[in-house]
Amino acid sequence: MSRLLKKLASLRLTLVGMIALAVLAVVGSRNPDIGTGVTIWPIALLVFNLLAALLSNKVFRTQTGLLVFHVGMLLVFACIGLTVLTGYEGRVELVQGGAFDASQVTTMKQGSWHDHRLDDLEFFQKDVRVNYLPNFIRLDTNSTIQYRTAAGEIREATTGDQRTVNINGYEIAATFNKGFAVLLHWTAEDGREALGSVHFPSYPSFDWKQVTTWTTPAGQTVEIELELEEPVADIRHSWTLGRTDLPFEVQIGRSGNAVATARNGEFVALEGGTVRVEGLRMWMAYRISYLPYLSWLFVAAMLAIVGLAMHFGRRYVLPADSPMKPRVMEADVHVARV
Amino acid sequence: MSPEFEWQLIVAGTVLLLAATLVQLTALARRRDGYKPTAIIYAATATVFGIAIAGRWVREGQGPFMTMYEILLSSVFSLCLIFLVVSAAMAVARAGAFVVSPLLLMLCLWLVNESAAATPLPGSFDNPWLWAHVLSGKVFLGFCMAATALAVAMLLRGMLSAGRFARLDAAPEEAEQSIWTLFFVAFICHSFMLVAGSVWAHSAWGRYWSWDSLETWTLVTWLALGGLLHARATFKNMPAGLGHALVVGVFALAFLTFFGVPFLSIAPHKGLM
Repeated sequence: MSRLLKKLASLRLTLVGMIALAVLAVVGSRNPDIGTGVTIWPIALLVFNLLAALLSNKVFRTQTGLLVFHVGMLLVFACIGLTVLTGYEGRVELVQGGAFDASQVTTMKQGSWHDHRLDDLEFFQKDVRVNYLPNFIRLDTNSTIQYRTAAGEIREATTGDQRTVNINGYEIAATFNKGFAVLLHWTAEDGREALGSVHFPSYPSFDWKQVTTWTTPAGQTVEIELELEEPVADIRHSWTLGRTDLPFEVQIGRSGNAVATARNGEFVALEGGTVRVEGLRMWMAYRISYLPYLSWLFVAAMLAIVGLAMHFGRRYVLPADSPMKPRVMEADVHVARV
Repeated sequence: MSPEFEWQLIVAGTVLLLAATLVQLTALARRRDGYKPTAIIYAATATVFGIAIAGRWVREGQGPFMTMYEILLSSVFSLCLIFLVVSAAMAVARAGAFVVSPLLLMLCLWLVNESAAATPLPGSFDNPWLWAHVLSGKVFLGFCMAATALAVAMLLRGMLSAGRFARLDAAPEEAEQSIWTLFFVAFICHSFMLVAGSVWAHSAWGRYWSWDSLETWTLVTWLALGGLLHARATFKNMPAGLGHALVVGVFALAFLTFFGVPFLSIAPHKGLM
């Protein structure tokens, strides 16, 4: 057992693991077919190697800095593992005046140990204001949401750029992706009604192409285009995105080449019902992430760096076999002779 | 400060570094120690570039973080300053000035060919961790460069005729020790740069690690730094020359990661070291 532990703790094995990690990181990141998931194997090798070294290598008993660094590295690996296993990342678009709906979230990443609690989140989109400098240079993003805390309190917060909102452990962050939406009120031929929104492509990235497709509750897919009757973006001056009181019309492509135009409050007849334009809104895309071990990962990484600094101090700044020692002894001898 | 004056300062700094390179090469050919005039030129270059950075900062209202021009400008300044500080603390490191001078001159020549147009710093990037990330990156590169310059001097000392590196001939053990001391400091700074960069990326882009080209190659550089220190502890009889050559190799990797990958990558990290 002890022989196996010593073999597993080999410093040469560490080098093999590090080289394999470097090679697989480059290969995996450049080749989507392989993916960076392959780095798990050299990382696993390094973890076992490190554990074995910590248990068997006597150098860690005498060199505290080295011990702290390697324990820190082990904790870094542990926190990365826990973050991957328990983490969650999703994206959702929310229209102004609309409430968060967990079923609309697109999951980007989800750890196998993640306890899915998105249904517990309650928040509601309020105003969106994004400031731009000339030449469409985005300055700051301000998206206000109203949310219910875990304790049941109703609060309001503005997210964007550095500001996020934490609700029940989920971090809600406004992204750079946002645009215009129209509220549409659908009345079916049998009298059933529905209210929803159609989100146009991101603005101002696609200000030249505010067109999308929409499938009505009756199943007809139509092309719908937003025409803003006042310029919004200004290439020469600073401007703010977020006004929804702009005059506009929507063009709805019906069967064949026929196009119906509707302004705010107007109706368009479609297959199986009519649609009424209820107003212009903003939509905002949010990143929702759950990374409970991220702060611990930071602590572990900092611990490793502190360990490195301690080791550096011991080895290079004030080494035990410092040339200072003999000099002091010589001086003592000199004094004694005098 | 007007852009024209900033340009004049950069041209002046480039001329100063050309002078430093000529002084160093002449000193090497004549077997003399040309560090004193070189140090004066470095101090003047750091001052000139420091004024250019400060003036640009006031004019643009943001630090030199965004474009390759700004990265090169701040790198020449920081590398010059760090080499001066290291050389003041470790006299033996001055032997590497003949490597540092042409390297800084090369960065300057690159700088004068880059567009000086500013790109505003997005609100999501403006975070104290950006400072921590960039500063630790600069210190890392400075220490790694000083270690490499000394390693190159030690390698050439073994190849060229005796007497060209009088400073190293006087204290070869000290030079050897200094290379690894500087390399170890570079490793600590690189480790902190990775951590600070991850914290910053999380607030700027919503992810702490995404395997973009720059992140991947930065990890590879960290593994190379750590791997070399580990190899030195593993193979106690590693020839000194091999160790020096590997230090140069790691610096080459770090240099390409800093200044090469941002050109090749189409990721959001492009040009943002």
